[in-house]
Amino acid sequence: MTQAPAGESFEARLALARETSVRLKEAIGSVIVGQDEVVEQTLWGLLAGGHVLLEGAPGLGKTLLVRTLSSCLALQFSRIQFTPDLMPSDVTGTNILVGGADGARHFALHKGPIFGQVILADEINRATPKTQSALLEAMQEHACTIAGTRHAMEEPFFVLATENPIEMEGTYPLPEAQLDRFLLKVVVPSPSEDEMTEILARTTGRERGDAPRVLGRDELLALRALCRDVAVAEPVLRYASRLVRASDPALAGAPPLVKRGLRFGAGVRGAQSLVLAAKAVALLDGRAHVAFADLVRVSKPVLRHRLLRSFEGEADGITTDQVVEALVAAIPTRPEAVQQALAR
Amino acid sequence: MSLVAAAPQGRSFRPLFEHWARRVRARLALRHVLTGAAVGLLLGAGASAALWRTRQGPLRPAGAAGGLLGAAVGLVVARRRRWPDGDVALYLDARLAADEAIVTAVGLDGEAHESDGSVRAVVISRATRALVGATSGRVRAPLHRPWHAAIPVAAAVIGWLSLAPLPPAPAGPAAPPGAAPVRLAQVQGLEKVVALAEMSARDDAQRRRLEKLAEEARRLQEKLRQGVERREAQADLARLRDGITAEKLTLGDGEQRQGMESALGKLGENLDLKQAQRALGDRDLVSLDDEMDRLADRLEKGDRRRAQATLEEAAEAARREGAPGVARALAEQKERLARQGTKNDELRALARELGDALGEDGREALRDLDRGGGKASQRLADKLESALGKLTPEQRRRLAENLKKRMASAPDERGPSPSKRQRKGMLDQLDTPEGQRQLAEELKQMAEAPPERSEEGDRQRGLGDAEEGAGEAEGQLGGGVPLPLPLDGAGADKGGPRAGGGQGQAGAGNTDPSGPGGPADHRGTTGAIEGGDVRARASGRLDRGRPMPGVVAGRSAGKAGDTANVQGSGALGSAAPTEIGGVARSDVPEEYRAQVGRYFQPK
Repeated sequence: MTQAPAGESFEARLALARETSVRLKEAIGSVIVGQDEVVEQTLWGLLAGGHVLLEGAPGLGKTLLVRTLSSCLALQFSRIQFTPDLMPSDVTGTNILVGGADGARHFALHKGPIFGQVILADEINRATPKTQSALLEAMQEHACTIAGTRHAMEEPFFVLATENPIEMEGTYPLPEAQLDRFLLKVVVPSPSEDEMTEILARTTGRERGDAPRVLGRDELLALRALCRDVAVAEPVLRYASRLVRASDPALAGAPPLVKRGLRFGAGVRGAQSLVLAAKAVALLDGRAHVAFADLVRVSKPVLRHRLLRSFEGEADGITTDQVVEALVAAIPTRPEAVQQALAR
Repeated sequence: MSLVAAAPQGRSFRPLFEHWARRVRARLALRHVLTGAAVGLLLGAGASAALWRTRQGPLRPAGAAGGLLGAAVGLVVARRRRWPDGDVALYLDARLAADEAIVTAVGLDGEAHESDGSVRAVVISRATRALVGATSGRVRAPLHRPWHAAIPVAAAVIGWLSLAPLPPAPAGPAAPPGAAPVRLAQVQGLEKVVALAEMSARDDAQRRRLEKLAEEARRLQEKLRQGVERREAQADLARLRDGITAEKLTLGDGEQRQGMESALGKLGENLDLKQAQRALGDRDLVSLDDEMDRLADRLEKGDRRRAQATLEEAAEAARREGAPGVARALAEQKERLARQGTKNDELRALARELGDALGEDGREALRDLDRGGGKASQRLADKLESALGKLTPEQRRRLAENLKKRMASAPDERGPSPSKRQRKGMLDQLDTPEGQRQLAEELKQMAEAPPERSEEGDRQRGLGDAEEGAGEAEGQLGGGVPLPLPLDGAGADKGGPRAGGGQGQAGAGNTDPSGPGGPADHRGTTGAIEGGDVRARASGRLDRGRPMPGVVAGRSAGKAGDTANVQGSGALGSAAPTEIGGVARSDVPEEYRAQVGRYFQPK
């Protein structure tokens, strides 16, 4: 891994970040076939410091992707397989009575799998809401309170959750509060024929080794800091605000599809996520500023899980992706006068 | 921190941005100016068209000022809508595909950045690169709008309107009918009206009336010399004619009406005076004179005496009932009857004495005289004069003897006339050549002398002449005065085609329902005339009293149920000046006016 020297110019750091991201994608790509967009979006979450919810059918490589990413990052990986009987303490850990060398016994913390750096919350929607909520504090505050003692997570703390959309029986949909904690919800698509062929070729022969390590803990933290430094112009921020505000069906200027298909729109955390994700996109693109196109690009993964459909929307089969498309189409990026001038 | 960061080719971001921003803003401002000019020129073209239409020739080019005004307004609007830097930067970002680097750089210019300034440097560097790569073509703001095409069009219209000849002046309001001035140096007919001032009057009141009529005629003459509206002259003339006609009817009118009625009643008691009664009732004193002449010729002496007595009674009745004028006229007629009767008797006697010497023509004249033929006495006097010239002296002597015997045997008349005494002396000298010549001379004078007229008859004749003169003057004026037109065939012409829209509208028997002006017949109905509403209305006055018997030509007070073309049977009514020529002034279509005028024209 290339180490960026201290005091290096922003432009050099940008270039380094771009180079690192390319190498990271190549490393992941050596294990994961296809799914470029999924990998890209996962990296957005990684750089922006947010958590990512991967949704897709079983066997599409979600768990493999997370495992590969953790091996590329050289971070402490832990996996939690969510099941209906999983208890919160199974996630967070608990105090257990242990005997000391002097024969005295005392309670010692037995950390749960949440105390890792790259957490794979597999099939998160199969656990009960009580267990799911055990993740809340850790995801939001990067800390966990066990028996009254608050334990900070080791940075970087990155949760990658997966959920299976087709097994509705025995699943517990994630509560809105928890969904909101995820920066992105990435939909994992089925592989194409070529990708499927390649997957078959790779996985049915001799086992390959893990992906190479590309990024260390410090480098990742530096990239995250760099991502935060990406500049955003006021009109771009304003566009993000308009986009998120327009998702509120109670708003007078909301598009008709929003009014018809949604009960609640995205909130402030959604707007923050939008800008952060857009910064990550700009960073990966080697830019020190965010463009309107970055916001548009991240709008679906950022907003799709924050929009609560109405009964009518569900009945009509309106998806949140359709609503986001309608929002993007309805909300102009630039002021009207500029739009008119550009239209000619 | 300065924005003048390191940039490609040593260029700085801010000057570059300002450069392109100026160009963008200039074009946007120019677009507003052009829009304003287009609107202004369009309004100016409208104003020029209005000025052209209203014939304000010199002001037409001023419409071009609308363009300047509009451009100025456009400039003001452009300043008010001037794009801020952010908008310009967004526009440039989009044009230069700079991914919002320029707008980010502009934003970083105004606020302190908490992080390393190199972020700003990177953004500005990228923005500067984008601006350096800009060209006029890439960042050119849209200038022309479809409606800017109105500028040359409107300018051309203003130019054309400024050079085009002005439209013809709109026709002023049509002069009311009859408003055309008329100027006549001499109106012969009015002289006859003026002459009324010299005519003998029945009394002082009539004298004043006649002088007033004459004065009005003189005033009208003066007006016509100076020039006057035709309708005014026509109104004056109509007033004159009405005054003259009314004057002709003043005998036995008003307070003397009862006396007139009494006199007429008396006259009616004598069958020989029936015609005289009718003539007097009609105030036709000329006809009364003629009737008396005929009676003097026709009646035997006894009948004549009875007629004289009746006239005397009638005169007395009129006098008694307070109609001295009528009484005077009847007394005068009685005297005339007596004088004329005596003269005729003498002529008859002389003619009978002459016997065959009178000749066939003389005998025929004598028979005419007996029949009461007009001017028979003059003709007989003429024959007698020529017959006397052919007598031998012996025949003359015998004639004189016989005449003397007859005269002697004739009973004395009451109140012998001076002519009888004269003639008696003349017969005494008939056997002398001097006497014969004197008799011949007297007979000659009788033959050539004009018929004797009564004073009222002369007055009536003078008024008639004046009325005729007023009519001539009216004809000389011309114009649309509804004159009585002869009706072709008076109903005998059944269904003859209409001769035209004007004078030829002989409505008699026209049954053509499709003819212009509406079909008409003489059954008292008129076909529908095309028109939205009533164009004229006959406003006849209600019956103001039973009129005197007789026929009067002229406007008359109507009776309920009458129409204007029913012959009047009473005293003339008075027409207000506004009613004179009312048809000509009305909005009755011109092609119908003659017909409508004839409808209201008294027969």
